Amino acid sequence: MGHDTAEWVYVGVICGILAWVGADSWYVEKLVDDVPKDAEVIKVTAQQWFWTFEHKDGTKEVGQLHLKKGQPYKFEITSKDVNHAFNMPDWVIMQDAIPGRINKAWFVPDQVGEFPIQCREYCGLLHYNMRGTLYIEDNK
Amino acid sequence: MVLELARPRPIWQIMFSTHHTDVALLYTITSLAFLFMGGVLALTLRAELFAPGPQIIPDSITFNRIFTVHGTTMLFLFAIPFASGIGNYLVPIMVRYKDMAYPKLNAIAFWMIPVGAALVWLGFSDVSWTAYAPYSVIRAPGPAADMWIFGLKIVGISSVLSSINFVVTIMKCKHPDLPLSKVPLFAWSMLVISLMTIVAIPTFAAALLMMLTDRLGVSGFFNPAMGGDPIAYQHLFWFTFHPEVYIFILPAIGMMYEIIPRFSRKPLYSQASGVFAFVMLAIIGFASWGHHMFATGMSFTEKTVFMIGTLAAVPASGMHVFNYLATMWGGRIRFDAPMKFAVGGIALFFSAGAGGVLNTAMPLDFITHDTYWVVGHMHLFLTGTIAFGFVAFTYYLFPFITGRMYNRKLADYHFITMFAGTVMVFFTQHLLGLYGMPRRVFDYPPFPAWIAMNEFATIGAFILGSGMLAFLINLIYSSAKGKEANMDDPFGLGGKYYYPVSAKTPHHTGY
Amino acid sequence: MKTTSIQSMKSILALLAVSLTALLVLPLVNLADAATGEKEYVKLRNEIWNLFFRMTTAAFVVGAVVSGTIIWLVWRFRESHPKNKAPTKWETGEAAH
Repeated sequence: MGHDTAEWVYVGVICGILAWVGADSWYVEKLVDDVPKDAEVIKVTAQQWFWTFEHKDGTKEVGQLHLKKGQPYKFEITSKDVNHAFNMPDWVIMQDAIPGRINKAWFVPDQVGEFPIQCREYCGLLHYNMRGTLYIEDNK
Repeated sequence: MVLELARPRPIWQIMFSTHHTDVALLYTITSLAFLFMGGVLALTLRAELFAPGPQIIPDSITFNRIFTVHGTTMLFLFAIPFASGIGNYLVPIMVRYKDMAYPKLNAIAFWMIPVGAALVWLGFSDVSWTAYAPYSVIRAPGPAADMWIFGLKIVGISSVLSSINFVVTIMKCKHPDLPLSKVPLFAWSMLVISLMTIVAIPTFAAALLMMLTDRLGVSGFFNPAMGGDPIAYQHLFWFTFHPEVYIFILPAIGMMYEIIPRFSRKPLYSQASGVFAFVMLAIIGFASWGHHMFATGMSFTEKTVFMIGTLAAVPASGMHVFNYLATMWGGRIRFDAPMKFAVGGIALFFSAGAGGVLNTAMPLDFITHDTYWVVGHMHLFLTGTIAFGFVAFTYYLFPFITGRMYNRKLADYHFITMFAGTVMVFFTQHLLGLYGMPRRVFDYPPFPAWIAMNEFATIGAFILGSGMLAFLINLIYSSAKGKEANMDDPFGLGGKYYYPVSAKTPHHTGY
Repeated sequence: MKTTSIQSMKSILALLAVSLTALLVLPLVNLADAATGEKEYVKLRNEIWNLFFRMTTAAFVVGAVVSGTIIWLVWRFRESHPKNKAPTKWETGEAAH
């Protein structure tokens, strides 16, 4: 009975793997945490059960969002009633929309097309249908 | 036999008894009943998700109510009471005391559970088991949500009372010749989770009260319009419920520590390492609640702190796996139903843990958070490890409780279908999450990949369900008509390795 | 018996260590390559998915070792295995507890 070398080696290997997991994800998080300086702000407002997007020039879109390829965007996400989560799975954008808070997310579209926007935090009756569409258009 | 009902008695004598084995029987039967009730709800949900468009559930509010009650039932009415039930059977025996420290308190703690359960089931609320404010405060329909709050309040008090009872039984009523370090690991797991419950539950109890007064409109703790903060609810909630994850899982780990050495016919590899890992998990479990909230707008620093706190819990879990495997190494293993479920549980425990490490990595949260990945991950722990451990232990204690043997063929069928079903449902749900499907949705758009994976998961769920049906039939049929068990050695392991019921022998620890 | 089991355990651990070192080094080499190219913005989704695949690879390597060990243990130490006919020293009581 009692500990022996094998167990210590095993625990050491686990700690090594975990240290790598921690360091690598810290590095990547740091990389994606910085919003580019020239990002254009899009105000995203969630409410039961649709999305409103306000562009820099004040134009508003409901349920759909038109963006330009190659331009960095910063989303300022908030909610009017309950918690929602702004999510574009194809672009790995996911941030909760919480009343009384403004959360940020950013990305640079590098591909033209139509992509789904959805709510990922349970928000009641029509949570499943709180969807929108992202259109990315060519800048040129 | 200690666990057996002494003689056939009228049911009310068992119901109003305060003896630990009687209360244990009540706990065990009640929690298994809730397992099957929650399972029926789960199958309903899976059938609904088989294809896009409404299938068998008429509308989304019903769907939302069903998944709320499914989650609440499985966690608070199955997992916690089942652990208390087995604890009631074995802890007094393992510490060599005649009963629990406070027999009446024990019975009261049990009888609060049907009351709480009635509130949850009659209300059938749609707040989801996490009941995030502000939805639960400003939008969830009453009185269902209020009944849910009171139901959980009562279940919470019950689990605090039974925890106090376990702590006192182990710390104060332990036989003086038995040092704490020699107390068998299952009793250790009950000690550790009881202490964790006492520390963790009050926070959620406070959050429930705040939610209630918010719902009544007299306060605004979670309402930004009144100066409150919805995030505060999540902090209070997860401060209780991340440790609660360990409260769910440690009894299952402790049960495997009972089963594996006996069926391997070998002493446990290391009692000390098991105790150490339990205590480590109990402490570190309180340092990681924030990883449930990475997407709420946490700062980089907060995320880093909680990521490190979460990763720190992994080595201790790994030590348990090592302990199991090293115990099996060199043994002569009899694969009766309890051992099959225990080994299956270890394999799935590892898979769930590996998925958990991926969840911890901060940027991956953007991919996985609130998708079916999370559903798959959490169910892999809850079904793959906790339910496997609990089912293993049900089979293990079955002959000691009923004096009869379960049907081995049905048990084998149960094992194969439950293992295959678990893998089919929950591994597939991980993939669904990677494809971006959000959790808690009544319906989904007809993306071909989503449809295929949902169909596969539903088929898996029904395979799992057929196994659980076999389990139910086995329990009922074999307790009445099963073959009489050889009570000295029901599993034919040879007399050297003592069963818990004959634990009065001085050398019963360390096996 | 005890020594052989520890030796085989050690060889498994050594294998594990080697494969994980390889996993550590490979992405770093890629990173060095990537640094030479000129790019304006971080490609958020690529970075995150690459991290995901690095970690999944590690998880599956460790998973293969763990489940391989479990399968081998189950196969080798079942009581019906030909080498397991006789009771072990723990059953006969030769081993001290």
